[in-house]
Amino acid sequence: MSKPSWGSEALRYALILLAVAIALIPILWMVSMAFKPVEEWTDAGRTLHWLPIHPTLDNFRFIFGGSTSKLIVSLDSTAGWPILASLLSATLGTVIAMVCGTLAAYGVSRFNAGGNLPLALLQLRIFPPMAVMIPVMIMWSFLGLVDTWYGLALIYGIVTLPFSFWLMKTFFDDMPRELEEAALVEGCSRFRVFHRITLPMMMAPFASAALLVFIFNWSDYLIALLLTTREWRTIPVYMASLSSSMTGQLYGAKAALGLIAAVPPVVLGLAIQRYLVRGLTFGALKQ
Amino acid sequence: MSVEAVKAPIAPVVVQAGDAEIRRLGLRLTLPAQLLLAFIVLFPLVMELYISFTDWTPLVGKNWVWAYRYWNDFDNYVEVLTNARLWGSIVRTFVVMIVCVPTELLLGLGIALLFTGDFFGKRFFYSILLMPMMVVPAVAGYMFFMLFQSGGPVNAILSALTGSQVAIAWLSHANLALAAVMIADIWQWTPLMFLILLAGLLGVPEDQLQMATLLGAGRWARLRHIVLPRISRILVIAVAIRTIEIFKIFDTLYIMTSGGPGDSTETISVYIYKVTMQDLEWSYVATIALFILVVLSAVAIPAIKRFGAAR
Amino acid sequence: MATISLQRLSKHFGTFSALHELDLQVRDQEFMALLGPSGCGKSTTMNLVAGGIDASAGKILFDGRDVTDVAMGRRGVGFVFQNYAIFTHMSVRDNLSFGLRMRRLHRTEVDRRVSAMADLLQLGPLLDQRASGLSVNILQRIAIGRSAIVEPAIFLLDEPLSNVDAAFRAIMRTELKSLQRQFKQTMIYVTHDQLEAMTMADRIAVMDGGVLQQVGTPLEVYNEPRNVFVAGFIGSPGMNLLEGRLYEEGGAIGVDLGVIGRQRLTEGKQAAAARRAGLADVLLGFRPEDITVDAGNPGALKMAVSFVERIGHRVVVHLDAGAQQVKMVARNGFAATLGAALPLHPQADRMRLFDKASGLAIGVE
Repeated sequence: MSKPSWGSEALRYALILLAVAIALIPILWMVSMAFKPVEEWTDAGRTLHWLPIHPTLDNFRFIFGGSTSKLIVSLDSTAGWPILASLLSATLGTVIAMVCGTLAAYGVSRFNAGGNLPLALLQLRIFPPMAVMIPVMIMWSFLGLVDTWYGLALIYGIVTLPFSFWLMKTFFDDMPRELEEAALVEGCSRFRVFHRITLPMMMAPFASAALLVFIFNWSDYLIALLLTTREWRTIPVYMASLSSSMTGQLYGAKAALGLIAAVPPVVLGLAIQRYLVRGLTFGALKQ
Repeated sequence: MSVEAVKAPIAPVVVQAGDAEIRRLGLRLTLPAQLLLAFIVLFPLVMELYISFTDWTPLVGKNWVWAYRYWNDFDNYVEVLTNARLWGSIVRTFVVMIVCVPTELLLGLGIALLFTGDFFGKRFFYSILLMPMMVVPAVAGYMFFMLFQSGGPVNAILSALTGSQVAIAWLSHANLALAAVMIADIWQWTPLMFLILLAGLLGVPEDQLQMATLLGAGRWARLRHIVLPRISRILVIAVAIRTIEIFKIFDTLYIMTSGGPGDSTETISVYIYKVTMQDLEWSYVATIALFILVVLSAVAIPAIKRFGAAR
Repeated sequence: MATISLQRLSKHFGTFSALHELDLQVRDQEFMALLGPSGCGKSTTMNLVAGGIDASAGKILFDGRDVTDVAMGRRGVGFVFQNYAIFTHMSVRDNLSFGLRMRRLHRTEVDRRVSAMADLLQLGPLLDQRASGLSVNILQRIAIGRSAIVEPAIFLLDEPLSNVDAAFRAIMRTELKSLQRQFKQTMIYVTHDQLEAMTMADRIAVMDGGVLQQVGTPLEVYNEPRNVFVAGFIGSPGMNLLEGRLYEEGGAIGVDLGVIGRQRLTEGKQAAAARRAGLADVLLGFRPEDITVDAGNPGALKMAVSFVERIGHRVVVHLDAGAQQVKMVARNGFAATLGAALPLHPQADRMRLFDKASGLAIGVE
C-alpha cells in the first residue's frame, strides 16, 4: 500500500494515545491513592490532586497491621491471611482444574471419549454461579468445606474446568498425532507415550493454560463471598469488608490492597498474551 | 564351510489397543472431569427441584431434607413469573447488556482497526490496552467506586472539560449509578473485544484488500465489503462471549453500588444474591435457578450445536 | 493514449537492490512482456507501476503524467495477481462487478457488462456461485474478468497463467491477446516462460538481477541478443558461447577457438566492429539450431559427442572439447555415437560476437 498520509498517521496516534490514557487513568488513580497518606484520601472542597503530595507506604503498613498514622485505629485482622487464602485456594484450584481438564482433554482429543462433556463444560460457563450457590453452600456446609481454603479450591477447580479443558483440548488437537503413533508402533505403552512425548511438547501451552486458570481463580469474588466467613476470606472479600472506627471510606488502604490483588493477574496475563484469544473463546479462535 | 540356515527375523508383534481398550482408557481419562461436573450438577438440580415446591427457608430451623413439610405446590413458580422486583432486575440486566455489548464491540473494532499495519510502539500500546480486562473485577469495582466519588477524578475531568464545577454524586442517583456501572463494564471489557477482533482482522488476506483498493475501493468500502464479511464469524463469537458474561455481572457492580441506590443497579445476580443472603428465601431462589437453567439451555444448546456444525 | 515511461526506477529493501535504474518505455496499446528468472525484479517492477510499493528512486509516468506518488487506488491500472486474490466470500458475479460497483455505475449497466464479460470468459453458469472452492482455471478467468471489466487503459498481469493447465494455457493466451486488442489496452505481462513471452509480446524486456538486459521484439531478442545473459536465456537450449581470440589473416577476420578450430567470420557489421575495436578475447555465439554437420568442409569445428538427448521430435546433442561445451539441435533420427568427433558448421550469417570482458555483443552501442 502507498504510505498513508501524515495527517492520518497523526490521527491514528492521537486516537491510540487517547485509548491508552483511558485504559490507564483508573489504574493509575488507584496506584496514586495507594500511596496517599490519610489526609489526602479525600480532596473534599479542594481541587483534586492527581499525585500524592507526600507519598507514603503507610497504607501498605496499615493493612499488614502496623500504622504510623494516628487517624486510623488499627484493624482486627490484617491482610496477610487473605493473601495466603487467595494464594492457596487459587493454586490448588488451578491444580484440580488442570489435572482433570488435561486428562479429559487428552481423552476427548485422542480417543473421542466423554460424549457430551465438551458441551456440558461450555454450559457450565453459561450458567450464572449465583443460581447454584444455595445447594453448593449446603453441600459445602455438609462436607465441612465452608471457610476453608481447600473447600474454596474445590469449587474453583470445578468452575474453571471449562477453561482448562477447552484450552488443552485445542492444544492437543493442534499437536500432530504422528509423533505419538510412531512411538506406539515401537511398542511404547500409551502412558509412556503421554509421559515421554506428549507432555514435554505441551509444557509451554500447559503453563499458559494453568496461568489463565490461576488468573480466573485469583480474581473470584462472589464464590469466596459466599463460602468463606472469617478465617479464609480471599483478598477481594477482605478488601470489600475493610473498615475501621474511622468515619468514611478507607480509600488509601483499600487501594493498597487492590493494588496487591491486581498486580499478579496483570503480570501473568501479559505473560500469556499469545494464548489469550484461544483461552477466552474456548478455542473457537486462535491468535 | 557350512551355511547355517538363517532364520527370518520375526516381525515385532505390535500390541495395538483394540476398540474396547481405547474406550476404557478414554473413560478413565474423562472420569475425573465427569465426576466434578456431576458433583456440581446432580445434587444442586435435585435439591433445587425438591425445594422449589416448598416454602422452606433456613429460617424454619430444620434441615432442608424436611422441606416437604412445607409444601406449597407451584406458589414459588407463580412468584417467579409475577415478582416485580425480579423482573425489574431482569430488565435492568438486559438494559446493561444492550448498552454495553454493542458499545464494547464498536469501540473494540475501532481500536482494532487503528492497530492494523505496523507502527512505532505497537506491541507496547497493545499490552497496555489489554490491561483493563486483566484487573480483578472486584478491584475494578473499587477503582470505579473511587473514580465516581463527588470529589473524584471523573468529576474533576468533567469540571476541566466544561469549565464549571461539576460535583455529581454519581453513585447516589438512580440512573447515574447505572450509567457508572455500565461505564465501568465498558472500560474493563472493551479490551477483550479489541483482542478478539484484532486477531480476526489479521486473518483478512492482505492481497484481497490490495485488489479492492486497485478496483477503486476506499477505506469504508474495504471495511464494508471485505473486512466485515470476513470477520462476521468472529464478531458473532465475540458478541456471544460478552453477552453470556454480562448476563452474570456481579463483582464490579456489587462493589461499586451494592445494587443501589435502592434497586436501581440491581441486576439479576445481585437480586438473587440479596434474596439469598438477606431475605433467605431459598426455595424461591431455587425456583428462579431452575427457570434460568431451562431458559438458558433452550437458547444456548441449539446455538452451540449449530455453531459447532458450521465450524 | 496510455504510454508508460519508467525512468531510472530503482527499489531496494535495505541493502538488497531489487531493481536498479530501470529505463523502459512502453508504447500505447503495446503488449510488453517482462521476462527473466526468479528474483530478476520483474514482479517488483509490476508492483511499482501499480503503486503497491513506493519507489526508492526514479519516476513513473503514464502518458507523461507523473504518477510516482499517486496512491494505488487512483492510478487507474488493472492488475491480476499471481495468486488471483479472488474475493472468496462473494459470488462470482459480485467479484466481477466489484470495480463497477465501486464506480457507482447503474445497476442495469453493471449487469449488462457482467453478462458480457461472463460470456466472453465462459463464466455464465457460475455467476451466482460462491467464488471459493472453484478450480484454478475458473479463478484465473474471474481474476482477469474482474480487472478487465473496468476497462483500464493499462493492464498489468503477474504470471497469470502459471497455475493454469498446459492445455488451457494456449487458449487463455489467445483470449488475453484478443482482450487486449479489443479493449485497446497497454499491457505489461510478467512471465518466466519464454514461449509465452515470445508468442504473445510485441516487445520483450529481459531482466536479470534487478537490471534490464535488453528490450526488443521477440525476433530481435532471439537473433540479436545484446549480451551473453540474453543469449543464454533466450532459446531452449540457449545460444552456444565459445571462448576464443580474434585474428586477422589475409584481410579476413576470424576467431581462433583453440583445439576446436578456427572460424572465419563473414564480412559484416560484426566483423567490421570487431576490427575497429581491436579486441582480442571474444565469445563466439551461435544457436544450437543453426549448426549443420558438414564432413566435407575443411574449416569445420571439431568437437566430440558427450551426451545425446532424444526428445521425440528432436535430438539435442551435447558436444565438448576440453572445457568448452556446445549443444546442437538436430532432427529426429540423427545418428550420433558417444565419443565421436563431429565436424560442426555453424551458419555463417547467424553468428554473434561478444566481448569476453564485458559480456556485451560487439557492434552494439
